Formats: sequence, structure tokens, C-alpha cells
Amino acid sequence: MKQYVLRRLALAVPTLVLVSLIVFSIMRFMPGDVVIRMVEGHAYAPTIEALRKELGLDRPAVVQYLDWVGGIVLRGDFGNSYWTRQPIFDEFVRRFPVTLELAALTILVSVVIGILVGIVSAVRQDTASDYVGRVLAILALSVPYFGLAVLVVVLPSIYFKWTPVWTYVALTTDPLENLKIMIVPALVFGVTRAGPIMRIMRSALLEVMRQDYIRTAWSKGLPERVIVLRHALKNAMIPVVTLVGLQTPLYIGGSVIIETIFRLPGVGLFFFEALTRLDYPVVQSVNLIVATMVVGLNLAIDLTYAFLDPRIRYR
Amino acid sequence: MARRTAFALALVLLAVLVAVPPAPAQQPKRGGVLRIADREAPNLDPHLSVSFLTHSWANMVYSQLVRYPHGPEQQHPADFSIVPDLAEKWEYKSPTVIVFTLRKGVKFHNKPPVNGREVTAEDAKYSIERFRAKSAFRARFDVIQALDVVDHHTLRVTLKEPFAPFLNHLAASTYVAILPREVEEKFKDFNRPEAMIGTGPFMLKSYQKGVQIVFERNPDYYVKGLPYLDGVVKEITPDGTARLSLLRAGKVDLGHMWGYMVPEEAKSLKQTNPEMVMTPTMTVGSGILYFRTDQPPFNDVRVRRAISLAIDRKAWNDSLHYGEGCVDAGPVPCAMKDWKLEVSKIDPAKAKYLVGYDPQEAKRLLAEAGFPNGFTTPMFHWPGYAPPWRTYYDLAADNLAKIGVTVEFKPEEYGKYISTTYLGKFEKMAMGPQAPGNEVDDWLYSGFYPEQPHNRSHVADAELNKMLAAQRRELDPKKRLAIVHDIQRHLADKAYYVYLPTSPQYITHAPQVKGFKHHDGFSLGYRLMFTWLER
Repeated sequence: MKQYVLRRLALAVPTLVLVSLIVFSIMRFMPGDVVIRMVEGHAYAPTIEALRKELGLDRPAVVQYLDWVGGIVLRGDFGNSYWTRQPIFDEFVRRFPVTLELAALTILVSVVIGILVGIVSAVRQDTASDYVGRVLAILALSVPYFGLAVLVVVLPSIYFKWTPVWTYVALTTDPLENLKIMIVPALVFGVTRAGPIMRIMRSALLEVMRQDYIRTAWSKGLPERVIVLRHALKNAMIPVVTLVGLQTPLYIGGSVIIETIFRLPGVGLFFFEALTRLDYPVVQSVNLIVATMVVGLNLAIDLTYAFLDPRIRYR
Repeated sequence: MARRTAFALALVLLAVLVAVPPAPAQQPKRGGVLRIADREAPNLDPHLSVSFLTHSWANMVYSQLVRYPHGPEQQHPADFSIVPDLAEKWEYKSPTVIVFTLRKGVKFHNKPPVNGREVTAEDAKYSIERFRAKSAFRARFDVIQALDVVDHHTLRVTLKEPFAPFLNHLAASTYVAILPREVEEKFKDFNRPEAMIGTGPFMLKSYQKGVQIVFERNPDYYVKGLPYLDGVVKEITPDGTARLSLLRAGKVDLGHMWGYMVPEEAKSLKQTNPEMVMTPTMTVGSGILYFRTDQPPFNDVRVRRAISLAIDRKAWNDSLHYGEGCVDAGPVPCAMKDWKLEVSKIDPAKAKYLVGYDPQEAKRLLAEAGFPNGFTTPMFHWPGYAPPWRTYYDLAADNLAKIGVTVEFKPEEYGKYISTTYLGKFEKMAMGPQAPGNEVDDWLYSGFYPEQPHNRSHVADAELNKMLAAQRRELDPKKRLAIVHDIQRHLADKAYYVYLPTSPQYITHAPQVKGFKHHDGFSLGYRLMFTWLER
């Protein structure tokens, strides 16, 4: 087990180097120029040159890359934003709890809805409740979350002079007020992500329910509640956990749009503003930090399989 | 008897007239907090940042030596005359020496480390020097040769040459905010909330990054009785849809720092929220077709004139701007009334190449230039400009097709467009908006003088160059205006740029907001110091 973890960690290094190379190049290949973006209409030639030099953009790309990666590896310094001139890592740490809370609530919403509807759908296969559940799942899958978010923000403001966009209050300041602010975005995002979970829950549970040990449990005369929840559900959860794990980057990626629309001061909004401003170091570093987290998370999910299925061995 | 009755009646009428006061002019009210939904400034240091959002926020707390008139002082939204701010007066001792006399007793906000000390000429000198050392816009003040503190309240500025736009640049909120030196010594820069210490109408109360910034009234502001508001809260809202929803839901009084709304948006808002106050306003800016006038076919004035004559400006304005836009859009934009030479005052034989519509004449000119069957030209542009820009591109191509000029659309990504086409690096023809600044010099010298980055049409016209240089050096406003008018007369039939009708912005706010007058530029603090709330 220990060896497995160490090997996985060693494998993470080339992955992250590759990620760093890709984000660095993508930002450079993206047509456009952060300096021109900064001065916009006031593009006096001396201004542009002065700013380019100040930001170190007059150096060759290789030097810029090594400077960035070197800073991270040698000093743990993720660099400063071109626009705010402030350390990126500090800003990331300050904003991360908002995104984490949003992701946690979204996962909670999507898992609770997905699993409940999935169980009902599997246990009552081919009945009306199964059809309703499956239609809902397809609907949730096909409505893009950003579209739903805009509707939720705009429609009530037109018809009821009300909008679920509030001024953010931190969880530690006022948990109730915080929950009031976070619940609508989490619901919007969570509902659209519940679709795939429901579908995989349903098919996994159907498969497990046909296995011999379940038939044995029925023949012992156990009540349905015990068979489904105690015997079948745990085994049916493996693909669900995998799916939630695979979806985690989506939760982080989706937070970019959700946080922008609902004005939540998280990492997603930080990333969105950096991207629209071509703030190279912020886009690069945030990408790299999130990639590191995803690599770590995937490892953690692989390790939870052992808990769900004791037969799994790590080599 | 009848006479007596008539007399009595007249007396009664007079009494009634005296007793009923005339409809009262709106009296400003003290108090209340104004809420604005807007994007976040990336940085708080007005000299280090080039973002207009930073300059708008900074203008809440800092003052300048001079400023533009605002609120009841202004004649119109593009009134760029100069009024005193921290400098109560200034005098040209010679064409290159200006002496500013600062107001006595103006105090910085009462916060450490400045603690409400008086503003002096030292502060003005320090601020201009810091701007010239650190701002990416420093080239704006390259003309300064020396800054001398004559005494506590007197600053002498020596210029390298006479430069008429100097005071205007000093009055623009984009440039030199007056900062206290102690703050930089303590905090290294002004890019943090506790460093926002100025002499402006508002003081920073709190700032939660990504959430909101709160300003409160400066009780010691040097203009007694101003500002009227107790405070201003900016709800940071990056998404335009969310900003509009906040305005609709009554959670903010202004959905944008200027209250801008394009006509379509405004008309839709008026349907759901008829109580909203909207004022269609021409802002400083214009849309243009621009050409490589240094290369064929656009080096031939007949071709450029044909292009201009092909644009049906009236139909354009009626169909896309509800007839509310401005047709006579350049070279000085419609909004800059103080400098603009109305087309009616230009010889009609020349003016037709500025605003006329005559496709037959256009075809004749093309044939004369050697294109009896027209020609094909690319049109470089950025499709992402706010609506209805996409329609503008189509309409222009459609108008040109009618005289035989086939347009090949060359859409570009924003970054590429702004760093190439926008700066004149393109082939043949391009199209887009422009808004280079508040100074008429930005529209003329920058747009037409050789080697200037905004000379997108690659204009090189010796006679024009003389006039462009002369208006910069002419300090007498009347004589300068005469030169600026001469330039517009000269440009009328050259068609170096073809000007397109411009749309008004609807300045939109909630009904309780009073006294909020639009002024072009980033002077949010000056605009809000004359604003009050009537709840």
C-alpha cells in the first residue's frame, strides 16, 4: 500500500510538469497581448514598451517559464498578478474556502438527489416512478448549468423584482446568512450534476440486486429496506464514488461560471477575471494548483475503494 | 362697479399667484447610502494601475490639482473646461511656465499615518513626480521640464514647450491623483485599502475583495456641504446579467458606474421597470471605417470619398438607433460640442464627403479611379463589441456592395485585433469604434499625425501636420478653437476615415437617485459628490 502511494506520487511529477508546460504555452499562444489589454484605448507606444519591460514580458519565453517554475519549486512562490501586483498563492488561499464550500454543497446536493432517485428508480424498475426519475435525469443532463443559473438570476428579477444574488458573507461570520447565499448556486449546479449520478446509481444497483448473495438475502426473508440499504447499496456505490471523483474537476471548473454569475468571491471568480484580463501568471498558477489537487484527489478516491471493497489490493 | 370688481379680481389673482410658490427646483437632500453594482478594480494604486476601474475608485478618495466641471457646474456631459480643485487658481507666467496656487487648509483624511495634515505644494510635486516615474501613462507628462515648490502653497511647473492640452491632462481622473508621501513610505505603495488616504469627497470605510467596497462621506471635505450622500457601496458584480438583475430587483440604485445601457437593453428594462430614469446621452466616442491610405486603392481620395458616399447614415441611424443617434460623427465626436464644427458650417460641396449619401456619385468616382466594376476588400474587425456592432459590420458591407465594393469579413480575436488592427497594422480596410480620450488633441493629433499609434489610416498630410502641431502650441483658447475648426474644414473632403452614425447611451438609474449627471471620463467621485437620494 505504502509503495503504491509512493509510486503514484512519483508518477504525479511528470503529469504536473506537463500541465505546467501546457498552461504556460496556451497562454502564450492565445492571440492577444496582456499589455495591450491593460492599456486598451490609451495605447501610446512608450506606454506599451514600458509596461512590457516592467512585467518581464520582454524576456524569451523559456526564461519566463523557468522563472515561473523555478519560483514555485525553489521558493514556493507562485508569482504575482500582473494587474493586482499581489501574490497569487495568498489570494488563492483566501478564496479557496468559498469554492470548497460551493463544491461540497454541490456534491452534497447532487449525491443526495442522484442516489435517492437512483435507488427508487432501480428498486421500482419499469414503474411510473422509475420513468419519472429517468426523465428527470435526462432533463438534468441536458440543461447546461450556466443557462439554468442565468434563468434563476434573471427571471425572478423580471417577474417578482427579486433575485437570488446577494452580498457574500463568510461562513465563519454568519453561517445562516452564508447558507442562504450559497444554497441557490449549489442547487442550480448540483441538480444538473445529479443526472449522471442517478443513472449510474440505478444501473449499478440493478446489477447488484441480481446477484446471488442478494437472492440469498431475500430467501432468508430479510425486509427490502435491509437488503437494499445494507447489502446492495455498499457494493453498488463503487462506480458512483468513481463518478463523483471524476466529476470533481467539473465542480471546480463549473465554479468559474457559477461564482461569476452569483458573485461569490471564490477561486472560480479569481480565475475568470484573470482569464478575461489575460493575467498569465494567475491563470498558470491557479491551473497548476488545481491540477495538483485533482491528482491528489484521484489518489484519495483510488484509496477509498479498499474501504468499499475489501477484496481490492494495492500493488 | 365693473371696474371695481375687475380690480378686486385682479387683486385676488395676484394674491393667489403670490401664495402659490413656483414649482420648487429640486433641493438636494443630505444623507443616504447609494448602491452601485459594478466590476472590481484590479488594483487600488491610481498611479500604478492603468485600469479605468482603478481610476474611478481612486477618484472617490483622491483630489487633483484641477478637474472638469460636474453636476450643476457642467454645461454638458463632455464639458472638459477646467475648474479648480486643490489648486484654487493658476497663472501662465510665460507660455511654458504655469504657477499653481493651492487652496489653504485642505486636509487629508484623518487616518494614520497622515492624520489629517494639510495638503501642500510638496504633495503636488511628489504626486506628479511619482506619476512620471511609475505610471505606464507617464508619456502623457513628458512635456514637463521642472517642478518647483515656490512656497507651502505654490507650485511652479515649467514645460519644455508650449502645450495646450497640459491642463486637460491634469484634470483627467486617469492621471495625477494627489497622494500623501507618508503612505508610500509606510506601505510601499497605495495598493491596499488602508493606504487609500486622500482629500476627496469620500473616504474608504471597508473593502472586502470580490464582495464590496464601502465609502463614507468625508466630513472635512473642503467644499462645505458636499457630498450630499452619507456613503456609497459598490457591490462587486462581474457579470452584466447579474448587475441588471440587481437593478431590476431594487438591490442597487445604479447598475453600472456610469449607468450605461445600450438602447435595446434600456427599452427592455423600461417595460419591466417603468419607474427607472433614463437619459439618452451622446458619449465621447465614434465608429469608423479606416484604411491604408498609404497603399492602393485607398491612397486615391476618390475611392475613399466613394466609400463615404455609399454609407446611408440616415437609414442606419433610424433603423439601429431609433433615430436618436448622431450622424455627423467625426472627426471630432458629436459629444465634444465645445470643439466640434457642425457640418452645417462647412462648405456643402466638401461636407457631403463627411455625411452625404449618394451611391450614383460614389459609382462615378470609383469608375473615375479605375474601378468601373468596383473591387473586393477585406474588412478587419473584432466581432465582440457590444451590440449592435455585429449589425454595423453587416450594414456597412451591405452599403458598400451597392456601389460594387465587395467586403470580405476578416473577424479577429480581441487580443489580436487590439494589438494589430486597432493600431493600424492591417491590410486595406478595417472597422471599429474609437474613444481615445477627453482632449480634442487625442482625436486630432493622435488620429492624424504620422507615426502616432492611433493614426490607423496612416495619414501623412503636410498641410494638416502644420495645423495639428499649431493647435497643440496655441494657448489662447479662441485661437486654438479657430485652428481646430480649420482642421475640421480641411479634413471634411479627405475621407481619411469614414465616420459612422453613433448611438447614444441610456444613462439609467433608480428613481430615487437625483442630481446624477453624466460626465464622460472616470471621475466617479466628482459625479457622486453632487448626487443625492430622495427616498
